[in-house]
Amino acid sequence: MADLQDELHITAEVGELDPPVSPPTPLPELPELPDLDEHALVAEPCLAPLSDQDAAPLDRAHTILAAHPVADGYSGLPWALRHLPWYDLELGESTIDTDVPRMRRGHVGALFWALHLPEGLAVDRAVGATLEQLDLVKTVARSHPEGLRLAGDAGQVTDARNCGRVAVVLGPAAAAALDDSLGILRVLHSLGLRVLTLSGTSWASEAGLTRFGEEVVREMNRLGVLADLSGASDATIHRAVRISKAPVLCTRSAARALRPHPANLPDATLAELGAAGGLCLVPLTAEQTGPTVRDVADHLDHVRAVAGPECVGLSGTYDSGSAHPQELGDASCYPNLIAELLRRGWTEPDIALLTWGNVQRVLRTADFTAKAAQQRREPSTARIAELDG
Amino acid sequence: MTPVSGSLAAARELLREFPVVDGHNDLPWALREQVRYDLGARDIATHQGAHLHTDLPRLREGGVGAQYWSVYVRSDLPDAVPATLEQIDCVRQLIARYGSELRPALTAADMEAGRREGRIASLMGAEGGHSIANSLGTLRQLYELGVRYLTLTHNDNVAWADSATDEPGVGGLSEFGREVVREMNRLGMLVDLSHVAATTMRHALDTSVAPVIFSHSSSRAVCDHPRNIPDDVLERLPVNGGMAMVTFVPKFVLQAAVDWTAAADDNMRAHGLHHLATTPEAMKVHRAFEETNPRPVATVATVADHLDHMREVAGIDHLGIGGDYDGTAFTPEGLDDVSGYPNLVAELLDRRWSRTDLAKLTWGNAVRVLGAAEDVAQEVQARRGPSNATLEQLDG
Repeated sequence: MADLQDELHITAEVGELDPPVSPPTPLPELPELPDLDEHALVAEPCLAPLSDQDAAPLDRAHTILAAHPVADGYSGLPWALRHLPWYDLELGESTIDTDVPRMRRGHVGALFWALHLPEGLAVDRAVGATLEQLDLVKTVARSHPEGLRLAGDAGQVTDARNCGRVAVVLGPAAAAALDDSLGILRVLHSLGLRVLTLSGTSWASEAGLTRFGEEVVREMNRLGVLADLSGASDATIHRAVRISKAPVLCTRSAARALRPHPANLPDATLAELGAAGGLCLVPLTAEQTGPTVRDVADHLDHVRAVAGPECVGLSGTYDSGSAHPQELGDASCYPNLIAELLRRGWTEPDIALLTWGNVQRVLRTADFTAKAAQQRREPSTARIAELDG
Repeated sequence: MTPVSGSLAAARELLREFPVVDGHNDLPWALREQVRYDLGARDIATHQGAHLHTDLPRLREGGVGAQYWSVYVRSDLPDAVPATLEQIDCVRQLIARYGSELRPALTAADMEAGRREGRIASLMGAEGGHSIANSLGTLRQLYELGVRYLTLTHNDNVAWADSATDEPGVGGLSEFGREVVREMNRLGMLVDLSHVAATTMRHALDTSVAPVIFSHSSSRAVCDHPRNIPDDVLERLPVNGGMAMVTFVPKFVLQAAVDWTAAADDNMRAHGLHHLATTPEAMKVHRAFEETNPRPVATVATVADHLDHMREVAGIDHLGIGGDYDGTAFTPEGLDDVSGYPNLVAELLDRRWSRTDLAKLTWGNAVRVLGAAEDVAQEVQARRGPSNATLEQLDG
C-alpha cells in the first residue's frame, strides 16, 4: 500500500523519547474580542440569525422552532390515556390534545408527563397509583418507538431530539407519592421520576417546608429530582428557592400581576426565582393566562422582564382538563405563539432560551448538582417522625 | 447425629466451588423492625450474632454465593406498596454500602458473575401478593426495581389467591390470579408458591409456562404442616422445571415442634391472649408453658430427612435451599444462623449424596430456574404485550 503520510517520522529507539516533529507554529494574532454583555454569554451560540427577518412571522417561527424545539413542561396525558380504551399516538388521536403528528407540527422536542393524581387517589393510595402512572408512561413510550423516547437526563433529552423523537420526561408527581419516605423518593427516582411538586403534604404545606421537607429537597438535589413549586405556598417557594442547590421549576405558573390565579406568581417571587436561576414555565390555559395568544404573550413578556430571559419557559398543560386560549388549542399550535413573540420583537436567542435552552440548562444543572452531592452525601436515613416529631 | 469433621471439610470445599443460593432471608425486615433501616446501627460487616441470624462474616462462613433478600411486608397493613418500596430501598442501600461483598443481581448471568467475582449475588423477592395491591402495573414496576420472585400470598389470602394458613377463599387462583401468573411469566419474574394453599399451588402449576419455585417450603409427607408441599405437587416439578427450596423453620419441619407450637398457641388462647402476643404478660404465660413443656429441637438431620424425601419425589434437579433466616424466631441445632449450611451439606455427604447432586442442590438448580424464566419471558414477550387487566374486570 502506498505511503499516505506526507513526511515520514523516524521513531525513537525503545526507551527513548520521540524527537519533536517540528517546532510549534505560532498562532496567528487574534483580533481583540469586543465586550460581550452578559446576555450574549448565556444565549446558545447562534451567530447568524436562522430565519429571514423579512419573512412572515409564522414562517420565521417554524424555522426557529425547527432548530430550537419546545420543551413542554407539563402534559396531562398519563391520566387522560388511562381512561381511553384504545389509542395510537403515532397515528393520531382526535379525542385528546396531544399525539405524535401534532407534536411534530408544533415542534415539540421534549414533554414532561405529569403523574399527578385526582384528589381522592392522592390521599388514599398515592404510592401505588404513582407506580401505575409510571408504568403507563413507560409502556406508552415503549409502544411508540418511532415517536417517543424515554429520557432521564439532559443528555438523553438531546439524544432523543437528535434521533427525531420526542423526549419523554417523567414528572412532576405529587409530593404525596413519597408517603413521607426518602426511601420511596429514591425508588421513584430509580424508576425514572425527575420532577416532584412540593405541596399538599404535612412537610410542604401553607406553613412552608418543615425540617423533613428541607431534607426531602436535599435528597432530591442528591438524586437529581427537580422541585416543582407551582401550587406550593409562598413560604414553601421562598424556602425551597433558598435551600435547593439545583434550580427549581414552576411547571405551571404565570404572572399574578396580570392575572390573579393562586398558582400564578407575584413579581417579588418571579424576581427571586430569576435571581436563583429557577425557571417559570408559563401554562397555555385560559384560566391562568387568558383567552388569547396575546394574553399568553403578555405573560411571557412580563415573566421575561421580571425574572429574566433565562428563567422563562413553556408549559402546554394539554390533556389536563383545562381550557386553552384561542389558536393554542392543542400541541400543534406553538408556532402561533412564537409568531406573536416575533411580532413583539423577541430575538431569536431569547426564543431559543424560552422554548428549549432554559429547560436544558435546568436539567443539566440538576445532573451536575446530583453528581457533586453524591460525592459529599450519603443517602439520607432521616424520618419524618424524627425531624418533625 | 453430628457429621464427622471429614465431611464438614469436604462440605466447605464443595461450597467454595458451588456456593449456596438461598431462597429467602428476612434481613431487610429485621433491619426495619430493629433499627428502622439505620444500617450503621447494625453494621453487617461485623458479627451481629446478638441481634441477627445474618451478617457478612457468617454468610462467608456458610458458603453463601447468592441470596434472595426478601422485601416482605406485613399483610395486615392498609397499603403494602409504600413499605415494599422502602424494603427495596433497604436492599439497594445494603448492596451499595457493602459493594465489595454484595453484588446486585437481576439475572442468572449476574449470579454466575457473582460467583466468579467472589461476591454474594443479591437478588430480591417479594413475599405476598398484597405487595402489588391488585395492580399489574405495580407488579411491572416491582420487576423493574429488581424483584425477581413474588410469593403469591403470605399468611393471609389475597383477593385473587388462597393462602395455606387462611380459610379457603377463591379456591386457589381466581381468573385475575391466573393473569398475575401469566404477567409474571411475561416479565421473567418467578412464581413463588411458598405460603400458598395446595389449591393455589396446583392452579399456578396449571397456568405457569415458566418454572415455579418454593422459596422456603419443605415436605408435607415428612411433616404435616400446611406451609409444606404435598407430594402430588412435588411430583409435578420435573415437568414444570421448577424447584422446591427446603426451609429450616422448626415449627414447619419437625412434627413434635408443630404439635408443640399448636399446644403453646392453645395455651395462650386459654389465657385469653392472642397466640402471637409478645406483651410482658403474654411472655410470662409462654415461659411458664415452656418450663413444663420443653420446646422440641429440630436438627440438621430433620432437614436432611425432608431433602431425602423431596429428592425421591421431585428429583435432584428440583431441589434447593431457603433458610428463612431472620424470618423465624427458632432455628434447628446446627443450622442456628447463616453460617450453618456446611453442616447440612456434610450431613448429606454422610448420606451418600454425590458431589454432582450437592452442586445442583446448592447452586445449579437455582441458576437454571432463573435463566429458564428469562428464556420464557423473551418468548412470551414476542407474543404478548403488557396486561392491564384488573381484578374487577376478571373476577367481577
